[in-house]
Parts: sequence; structure tokens; C-alpha cells
Amino acid sequence: MNINMNTEKYIMGFFRDEDQAAQAVTDLKESPYTLKRVHGPFPSHKISRALGQKKSKIGYFTLAGGIFGFFAGFVLAVYASIQWNLMVSGKPVISYVPFFIVGFEFTILFAVFGNIIGMLLLSRLTNTKIPVQYDDRCSGEYFGLLATCSRGELDTLADFFKSKGGETRIFE
Amino acid sequence: MSVLRNMDTDVTYNEIDQTVLKTLESPSRSYWLVIVLLFLGVLVGAACWLYQIFIGIGVGGQNNPVAWGTYLINFVFWVGIAHSGTLISAILYLFRAGWRNPIARAAETMTVFAVCIAGLFPFIHLGRVWMVYYMLPYPNQRNLWPNFQSPLMFDVVAISTYLMVSSLFWYTGMLPDLATVRDRATGFRKKIFSIISIGWTGDFEQWRHYTRGFLFFAALATPLVISVHSVVSWDFALAIVPGWHTTIFAPYFVAGAIHSGLAMVITLMIPLRKIFNYQRFITMDVLENVAKTIIFTGLIVGFAYATEYFIAWYSHNIVEQESFRWRAMGEYQFGFILMVTCNSMIPLLFFVKRIRRTIAWLFGISILVNIGMWFERFVIIIGGVAHGFMPHSWGLYKPTGIEFGIMLGSFCLFFFLFVLFVKHLPSVSMTELKEMVSAGSDNEH
Repeated sequence: MNINMNTEKYIMGFFRDEDQAAQAVTDLKESPYTLKRVHGPFPSHKISRALGQKKSKIGYFTLAGGIFGFFAGFVLAVYASIQWNLMVSGKPVISYVPFFIVGFEFTILFAVFGNIIGMLLLSRLTNTKIPVQYDDRCSGEYFGLLATCSRGELDTLADFFKSKGGETRIFE
Repeated sequence: MSVLRNMDTDVTYNEIDQTVLKTLESPSRSYWLVIVLLFLGVLVGAACWLYQIFIGIGVGGQNNPVAWGTYLINFVFWVGIAHSGTLISAILYLFRAGWRNPIARAAETMTVFAVCIAGLFPFIHLGRVWMVYYMLPYPNQRNLWPNFQSPLMFDVVAISTYLMVSSLFWYTGMLPDLATVRDRATGFRKKIFSIISIGWTGDFEQWRHYTRGFLFFAALATPLVISVHSVVSWDFALAIVPGWHTTIFAPYFVAGAIHSGLAMVITLMIPLRKIFNYQRFITMDVLENVAKTIIFTGLIVGFAYATEYFIAWYSHNIVEQESFRWRAMGEYQFGFILMVTCNSMIPLLFFVKRIRRTIAWLFGISILVNIGMWFERFVIIIGGVAHGFMPHSWGLYKPTGIEFGIMLGSFCLFFFLFVLFVKHLPSVSMTELKEMVSAGSDNEH
């Protein structure tokens, strides 16, 4: 493991142009080097396509939250009204139409909670520690492609990024 | 292509960052002066509320039959203001209307603050504010639970949901920008922004989940915003009071809410773009598009006013007819005239291109629409109960100084929070602007 850590080197290629970055991603995937991550200041569809990213599964969290929320709201309204089993304004004790409104609002609320939980878990956003191999430029105007190679291949990988129109930074 | 027209696409990503980050630099003395003045206004409102808590709800002008006064008017007004923020940030996002990008952040912020202020008014109206927990469903030894058949309870649920959802939507939307600020900040600010940006690095794995989640957020906020003002309208429509008890209320209120909110967006954006040199982002085309939407919502609102009169005539219901006759000819005629003129007639001026592309006109008309929409709520809320079924129980209502003080406080609190926001958090979405520039340069190819 130690040997691996010593030999594996991280290098980031920076691209101002989205098209160049997408092209570099495609070419890098076909090269012997390993593409670790891509950082960018905004979500680029071209880069997502080049990375071959699939649709996020966050929707399942949202759906689960929504279904739970609907029943939670509806059951709460039913439970509250049967505590006083009394007809008010001629409406049945368990009135479906008004309770549906409570259910609806809870659906949205819990679907959003599910959405947030999904986003935090899937994106691993709970850790405020920034990875060492990150560059501030990636939240500004550059797309950063982080790749690894062996120590001996550093120069050729740097040349690869430069040939695609990028700049480079080697992480020690 | 609209994206190209709505923003100067010669702008570089760096220029976007620099312009927005410049707004977060140390404020000038005049900024603090504004803050102090607004805070004094907030104190006036707080003092009036405190006085009411000590003396009793009777210090307001509410009476029998007009038990709902300015507190409820302001509640509906501020919920309404909130709605256009969600229209811009969520509904127009789903419609892929690129022109909403430069103003979405500020509009969503307006939503969050407006809902907070709206949420204060039921507390104020309650009189004995310490009894507020009676509205919350929780196990208690008296076994007293709220009645969920009541539209007022729908409101508690809807407004709380709206506040939570719009706050989360606002924060989520801001997350990548918080990371941008973090990466360029130093010292204490860097620490703060490191915490609130919760480890965002713009990794495409993060973007993959984020963009999908944001889409769901928008898709959930859209029916929510429509339901919230529908629920607010049912506070009235589910009562049998003439002038309130109509099925048109839900769409009528939703359209009115968006109408007033869009006007507030223009009122806020005009000084914002001038003070922070946002003219290259919040262009005249963006403001023009808001003005065009105001024509549309104004026409819907005008149509709703006319429909109410038509139904009163067509129904042959003499109580309804008297209620609407009195609305236009009675003691509150001034409110009716202001409402019709400011909400459905003056916005028609935006049909003239020169008017909707002139800052002074835009600003003036947006203020008039806000005044008109406040009076619309006055006419509906006060007019309904003041002139109900029984002539012997007709009565009038006049707000007192305490109510005006609280109202002043609410406006000052709204602007106080907004002014604080624009100097401490990115008031324009850098991420969405970069997306716009990228989309614009693609269209040029």
C-alpha cells in the first residue's frame, strides 16, 4: 500500500473551455492514465456526457419522502379528529377532502426532506473537509480534471493535458 | 435567441465572479446608515407589538363585525409577495426561461424573507401570542388537538411547509456559490463559508445528484406555491361571508400573489442592479420580461374582478349584489378604485415598449401595483365582514396608529433583511450566470 502511495501521482489539468475539457475527458478515458474526478464551476452537460454519467438515483429518496409524508399528514389529521369524536359544522369526523390537503402539504414537505437527505448522502456533502487534490480555480473559471499516473509518467501526462489546451498542477 | 438577448455573453466567468464578489466587500458608511434607519423602523414595529401584548388586542382597530384588520391584510400581502420568488426560481426554471437566471437568487431571497414576515402576522393577530402552541398538533394532558377541518389549520401546515421548503431551496441553490466565495475568502470569512458550503467542490459526481435534486426541488415547489395561496384564499372562501364565499378565490389569489410579487421584484432589482453594477447581468431585457409577465397577471386579476361582478349579477343573489355594489360605491370606494386602477389598468401601460424599457416607469408602476395589491386585500378582507348578511351588524373599520406602526415595522424588517443579505451573500447566482454564458456561446457557434 505504501509503495502504491509513493508511486501514484495526482495531476490536475485545467481547462477554461468546456468543449476542450469534454474532449480531454473522452481522450483521457481511452488513455492508460486513470481519471479520478472532474471539478467544474457549473454543471456541464458535455462533460457529463463525456464522463458517461447515469441519471442520479436521488429520485427514490424524494419519492420515499413524499409517500411517507402523505400518510403522515393524513394519519395525523385523522388521529387528531378522532380524539374528540364530535361532528363539527356537519362534516364527518374523518373528512377526506380537508385531510387530503394536510396530506398534500406533508407530501411536499417530506419529499423535500427526502430530496435533501438523498443529495447529502449521495454527494457525500456532510464532510466539510475539502480533499487535498482540489484547486480553488475549479469554483471560478476552470474545469479541473484530476488524473493519476505513476511517477515516471508525470511528464507525459502533463504533456497530454497541454496538448489538449490545458494547464497543469501536480499534487505532491 | 432569448438567452443571448438577456445577458451580455461577452462576459467571462472571471468577470462574473469579480462583479458578484465585489458586492461582498466591506460596506460603505451610507450602507450602515440605511441599516440603522431600517432597524429603527423595525424597533418601532416591535415597540408597537410589545405595547399591544401588554395592553391587549383592543389597541388595534378590529371590532365587531370587522374582526380581521391590517394584520390579516399584511399576512396575505406578504405571502403574496413571496410567491413570485418561487415562480421565478422554480416555475420558470422548469420552463427553461433563461432570463430568470440573473434575478432568481434575489427573488428567492425575497420569498424567504417575505414568508418569515407573513408568518409573524398570525402571531401578532393572535393577541395573546403565548397561546400560539395551541395551533400545533402535539400530545398534551388536556387531549386538545387542532381541528384539521379548519382552513386556518390548513394555513398553519401550508405556510410552515412553504417556509421550510423555500428556505431549503434557497440554500441549496446557493451552495455552489458559497463554495466560490469560500475559495476566494480569507480569515474568519473563509471559516464561515467553509462551514456553510458543507464541502462542495463542484465534483461532477456532486453535480450529477445536485442537478437532479434541484430539478425535483423545482417540481415540488411549483405545486406547493399554488397550494399555499389557494389555502390562504380558503381562509376566506370557506366562510359563508358574501364577497368571500366563491370558487374563483384560489386562482384569483394565486394570480394576485404573483402579480404583487413580480412588482416587488422590479422594485428591488432596479436599485440592486444600479448599486452593485449588475446592469450587464440584470439587463433591460430581463426587466422587460418581468414587465410582460406583469401584464399577463394583471389581466388575470382584472378578469377575476370582472367575474366577481358578473356572478353577483348573474346569480340574482341580492346579498351578493349588495356586497359588490357597496364595494364599488360604499365607504371603502377609494380602496376599490385604487385596486382596479393600480392592478389591472396601470400595468396595461407596459404594452408600450418605451414604457416597459424605461427604468423610471418600471419603478413607478411597480410601486403602484404594490399599493394596489395591498388595497385589494383591504377591500376583500375588510369589505367582506364589514357589510355581511345582516344590515344591523354592518360596521366600519379604521386601522389605528399601533397597526400602522407594526406595518411600518414589517416593511422595514423586510428591507433590513434584504439589505443585509445583499452585502453578505451572493445576491446573483454566479453558477447560473456561467451556465447562461456557456449556453449563449454555444448558440453563437
